[in-house]
Amino acid sequence: MAYERLDEALKMLSRKQLLELDTCARCALCTDLCPVYAESKNPLHAPGVRSSRILSLVNKRLSLWARLLGPRPLSEGELEELVESTYHCTLCGRCMEACPFGLETHELWLSVRSLLNLLNQTPPRITMLREMLRENGNPYGLDADMRLDWVDYTGLEEAPVKDRAEVAYFVGCTTAFKAVNQEIAYSIASLLNELNVDWTLLGEEEWCCGSPYLLAGDREGAREAAERNVEALKARGVKTVITGCAGCFRVMRWEYPKLLGGPLPFRVIHAVEYFSEHITSGDLKPEPLDARVAYHDPCELGRLGGVIEEPRIILRVLTTNPVELPENGLEGRCCGGGGLLQAVDDELRLSIVDARLRQTSELGVEILTSACPSCKLTLSDGVRDRGYNLEVLDLMELLARQMGL
Amino acid sequence: MTLNAYPALYTFSVGVLPYITVIAFVVGVIIRSMKWLSAPRGSPTPLSLTAAIRQMILDVILFRKIYRHDKLTWLLIFLFHISAGGIIFGHMRGFKLWSAELFAPLSEGFKNFLVETLPIYMGYLFIATQLILLLRRLSLEGRKLLSHPNDYAALLLLLAASIAGQGMRITPPEAVDTTYTVSFIPRLVVLHLEKIPSTPWFLLHVILTQLFLMYIPYSKLVHIYTGVITAALYGSRRSEYGL
Repeated sequence: MAYERLDEALKMLSRKQLLELDTCARCALCTDLCPVYAESKNPLHAPGVRSSRILSLVNKRLSLWARLLGPRPLSEGELEELVESTYHCTLCGRCMEACPFGLETHELWLSVRSLLNLLNQTPPRITMLREMLRENGNPYGLDADMRLDWVDYTGLEEAPVKDRAEVAYFVGCTTAFKAVNQEIAYSIASLLNELNVDWTLLGEEEWCCGSPYLLAGDREGAREAAERNVEALKARGVKTVITGCAGCFRVMRWEYPKLLGGPLPFRVIHAVEYFSEHITSGDLKPEPLDARVAYHDPCELGRLGGVIEEPRIILRVLTTNPVELPENGLEGRCCGGGGLLQAVDDELRLSIVDARLRQTSELGVEILTSACPSCKLTLSDGVRDRGYNLEVLDLMELLARQMGL
Repeated sequence: MTLNAYPALYTFSVGVLPYITVIAFVVGVIIRSMKWLSAPRGSPTPLSLTAAIRQMILDVILFRKIYRHDKLTWLLIFLFHISAGGIIFGHMRGFKLWSAELFAPLSEGFKNFLVETLPIYMGYLFIATQLILLLRRLSLEGRKLLSHPNDYAALLLLLAASIAGQGMRITPPEAVDTTYTVSFIPRLVVLHLEKIPSTPWFLLHVILTQLFLMYIPYSKLVHIYTGVITAALYGSRRSEYGL
């Protein structure tokens, strides 16, 4: 173990994060509510255990005692266990919302991933994913010229890639490349066409938003991705960027200003925000559906992104029978699709989504909607794997469908 | 028997230990603060005073998040903190930070209830809630998982100090109608007792309480003061997100 490197990496933790680690009163509320621990029952996966492990590491190496008496060595397997703990987390932020002292664990877990990245301790499958990101600009290892294939697959007639436009639709990799999600892109594009908006796609110039880089602990990679996308959007004189992906939305709206050190020259909004305004103003008048429809809050849109009411505005006009799931809004239960958990432990991801689908089916829900391609992917995988009788749709798909598009 | 029945112990716990307590506490706070300040600043949180105060009231004082998820734990924690607050407030009278005259507008009976009777019940409540919380920590899966041996040390120390304090209240005083002044730190920390308490309980309470105070900055008990800061910062951050 190269201790100099470890000590340098530990110095990445900010003073607020060290204060937070010391503040944890070990009340275990975070652990009681963690969707990962609830399914795995592995103590290492409990958020409170994770923070204790990090604190122990900091105290062994950087505390005053360590400075006076010399830093203490790590015990056998300590770092490996921290890797196991850190990557068995969906980064849903439920622990943060549960914490009575408001410890910003979401940010802390991301910093720990950066720390492990510096120590070359990132799990091999995550390292592979990062290499694909660097090479292709998406986490699926597909060529950039396949980014618009969804247009042909879905039969969308008008998909403009313009030099200048008021609005840009940032599709996102999981929507553009994953077949199960391509209807989301079709729906958003069709709705923009229906409203006669001056809009554009970035086409091959669209690059990964940077979210997977952050989840893999590569902040520099995320900054480069942000720079590239912002340049492409700025060059088109875009005033508003719309995305239907909760991950892209959170990173572009909340992380880009931090990564780039200043405000963006355009506003970033999620498609549910954009279209809920048009529903409220009467520009869009969908036909309500007579079915029990529920909305699952994507963690990155709701709790971590601050968009909670808008999808509900849309849901209420799309169905005569909206259903509110338990654990919703700020306390939304994670589907398991976040934090790159799929790459590390797919079986666990399916157990987590099963818990959410059980809640849904107990309420007799016929259509389960969300506003995130990762959620749709995971919920669909769960329905297929565990045999639920439930249709999974993105809210935008349902909106386009009820608009007859 | 007076409070000086054990002169060496009395001199140590009242004349020497208070200085050690203050030094240990201040050094502990400095060590912790230095540890935090030695780290980089990180991304700044724009401070919103209203959001910060709101968050502190709802989460640190009313324990809103605990209430949402676990009503029984909330009740226990709320009663524990209410009784702790009441007991600290009561002690402040002994240190002349307020006097019983504060309740002068109230009837004599009610005033006596507040000053004489209520503190005894507060003491029982404080001990009972601590015991139940400790038992829950020992038995509930999540809490057991997160608890370190030094967490139990802090809880046991507080429990012992509280039992000794309650013992002081409920056992007959050694002298009534005799006020007694205990000068922990002359002119700065002076305790004015209305009756002379039984010596063993008093000494035990004084020693254990000081050990507890010393332990605060070296243990998870730092949340007593850092929790206010983190909650305020969180409130500010969430208001930035429109939440």
